[in-house]
Amino acid sequence: MTMDKVLAVASNTIKQVVRMRIAVVFVVLLLIILPLLAAASTGDGTLKGRLQTFVSYGLSLIGLLLSLFTIIAVTYTATSDVVQCQVYTVLTKPIRRHQFMLGKFLGVLVIDLVVLAIMSGLVFGIAVYAPRLIGVDQDQMEQLNNEFFTARKGLRPREPDVTTEVEQQYRKLLEGQELEQVFKGLPKEQVIARLTQQKRLEKRAAAVGQDLMWEFHDVKLEDPNGSLFIRFKYNVTSNPVDLQIASQWLVGDLRQLKEGSQVGTPIYRIDRKDPVRTFREFTVPGDAVAKDGYLAVAFLNTLENDTVVIFPLDEGLEVLYKAGGFTGNFIRGALLILIRLIFLAAVGVFAGSFLSLPVAILLCLLVLLTGSTSGFILESFSFLGKNLSLIYEYTLKVLVEALPRFDQMNPNRFLVPARLIPWSLLIWQGGGPILAKAAILLAAGLWIFRSREIARTTV
Amino acid sequence: MQYAVQTIGLTKIFNDWWGRPKVRAVEDLDLRINQNEVFGLLGPNGSGKSTTLKLLLGLLYPTRGRAIVLGGDGADPKINRRIGYLPEESYLYRYLNPRETLDFYGRLFGLPARIRKERTETLLEMVGLKAVANRPIGTFSKGMARRIGLAQALINDPDLLILDEPTSGLDPIGTRQIKDLIRTLASRGKTVILCSHLLADVEDVCDRIAILYGGRIRAEGPVRQLLQQSDRMQITTGPISKQALDQIRQILAAEGGQVEVSAPMERLESFFMRIVSDAQARAQPTSGAVSTTQIGGFLVGQTGQELLERLVKTEPQPAQGQQQPVPAPTPSPVKRDVLDQLLDRPQKQQEEGQG
Repeated sequence: MTMDKVLAVASNTIKQVVRMRIAVVFVVLLLIILPLLAAASTGDGTLKGRLQTFVSYGLSLIGLLLSLFTIIAVTYTATSDVVQCQVYTVLTKPIRRHQFMLGKFLGVLVIDLVVLAIMSGLVFGIAVYAPRLIGVDQDQMEQLNNEFFTARKGLRPREPDVTTEVEQQYRKLLEGQELEQVFKGLPKEQVIARLTQQKRLEKRAAAVGQDLMWEFHDVKLEDPNGSLFIRFKYNVTSNPVDLQIASQWLVGDLRQLKEGSQVGTPIYRIDRKDPVRTFREFTVPGDAVAKDGYLAVAFLNTLENDTVVIFPLDEGLEVLYKAGGFTGNFIRGALLILIRLIFLAAVGVFAGSFLSLPVAILLCLLVLLTGSTSGFILESFSFLGKNLSLIYEYTLKVLVEALPRFDQMNPNRFLVPARLIPWSLLIWQGGGPILAKAAILLAAGLWIFRSREIARTTV
Repeated sequence: MQYAVQTIGLTKIFNDWWGRPKVRAVEDLDLRINQNEVFGLLGPNGSGKSTTLKLLLGLLYPTRGRAIVLGGDGADPKINRRIGYLPEESYLYRYLNPRETLDFYGRLFGLPARIRKERTETLLEMVGLKAVANRPIGTFSKGMARRIGLAQALINDPDLLILDEPTSGLDPIGTRQIKDLIRTLASRGKTVILCSHLLADVEDVCDRIAILYGGRIRAEGPVRQLLQQSDRMQITTGPISKQALDQIRQILAAEGGQVEVSAPMERLESFFMRIVSDAQARAQPTSGAVSTTQIGGFLVGQTGQELLERLVKTEPQPAQGQQQPVPAPTPSPVKRDVLDQLLDRPQKQQEEGQG
């Protein structure tokens, strides 16, 4: 019975949003832009590149427009009934105020869910069926299935421990009185951080004719006949004339070479030429992994080149393998957007419970903007914040850190490189905390709305 | 005796942004409204009438004092389940049509779908908007929206009906209908609080009134008692000869009284009603609300049956052996003239009681 009243308000809210044509504007915009986007996406010229660009722009657009829609619809519906006084007739009926506001929240979320399902379904449909309509050949389709229409887990090499080397270098600089000259009065911890980064990069740099090797343990393929994908990006100290790097790769259980023992599992040699500063990947059969889950990847900077090749930290090299399907991954991607919308709707209810419409919208937009760029903002403030110290530490930083990191929950981070969106991200790492924060904001909004005077001063 | 509504030292002071008292909207208000009473809250604009009603319903919080509505807090769902409220403006959702509006409010009372549907149709019939029941309320005139506003206040068959300026924006037919309805509901045992500055409306329907000014009660009591002029008398008669009139003048002059003789005027309301009824009888088309004389069956209830029984008695008795059965309390249309007679009866009884 209690839920009945919430649902009554929710269905009324849906009618309000639909009939006041708030949703229609956004849906029409999406319906016009999405197909245009499909036709206009070129990416890097390849079919995979086009699909990556289309899915990435399509989902970004859906996410952005639905975020704006959620903000406008929730704040409008939460404030308009008070401003236009419909609450006089509604809240004098046997419905509690929190049920009323909860109904508003649910109504907007239902529209979000429906529009999100339809629009992301459209993106999914275009992405999946476009290659078939164009009529790509078998090889291209297989490449797409391996590198785009899939969900892969990634393994990154562990960063080597360079503490001892860094300490030695620091001492050397100190003794040689070069510290001041090189680092110009930086505090010790920052000097150490810079030296550590330098050392790590050194370990990822190969001069002409030199090689690099990364080792992975516990590589567990779901399908032993499946493939491994080596994804990499080159940075260079000087640009080659054709901006390409020739390379030779060895992938497999390279321990067998060192020990000179009999070869048990195959070792694959791949010769390639790839552009600099671009993510590239190649495929290796899954049987390259040793039975104990060991895998080594070696890179040789061949003599054809005339520059040092550096694999950037974090994302410079990664071994990927299939861990799920594209459909499931895409749905999880859409759920990541939904989590963002739920949070924004909760912010909208909170803001709408005590602020006027324009101010409430402004607050929500600020939250969206800050949440989407919080990584950048936090870094900037940490840099500037040294002089603001205490005030910054206990006010702005706390607020910004309390906001969800939408940039980390962006589905494109996963879908474009066909990386698996783990359920753990949805439930524990990102989704759970964000939904918990949404629940707190929603509860605060409901409490404010329950406590405040609803009628206006009219004397 | 438990009052339907009681306020004890109810005070509402609106503060400015700095928290300084700005307006004393209601001050030390002690109201006692009996069960089954039509109570009128009168006063000029800004006298605190609407604020008082909002305090009763929990839309505003009192600065001091308290309000007891139907033995509890007016904002408590258990209590406002029994209240019907029509605010000073209709304040309806513009994008809903009348049928959806009534269904929505019915859902807030947790009424089952079947009952909601029945009541919606009955109320639409009653307020004369059945023909436009699928048009968004945003396209309605003020008076038509007011009718839906009234219908939503009745959807739960309330024990206490709070009407803030119920006749504002209504045509004389609508005004008359609302007044009829108030009397009918009162005869069923409901309590009605009527808030208005249209004195004629209040005079016609209220048992008791309070006049507010500056947030305080300036006068309170039964309408008849407050309005009766005990130092004046009125004699009404049919046509008489000049000779008889002279004789009367002489007698009254001997008593020391002053005499004023004139032909009585028909009230504009009755005149207007007669013209419109004639037009309706000739079935002239209108895009607006239609005047009906029907009162929702679920509102009339058992007392409605008694009402209809009395109605049958006032009609010529059928021949023996052909006695008509008493009609069931369904929303069957009651004839205008018959209803008028019916509504006069309680007043006459009251007069007899007082005499």
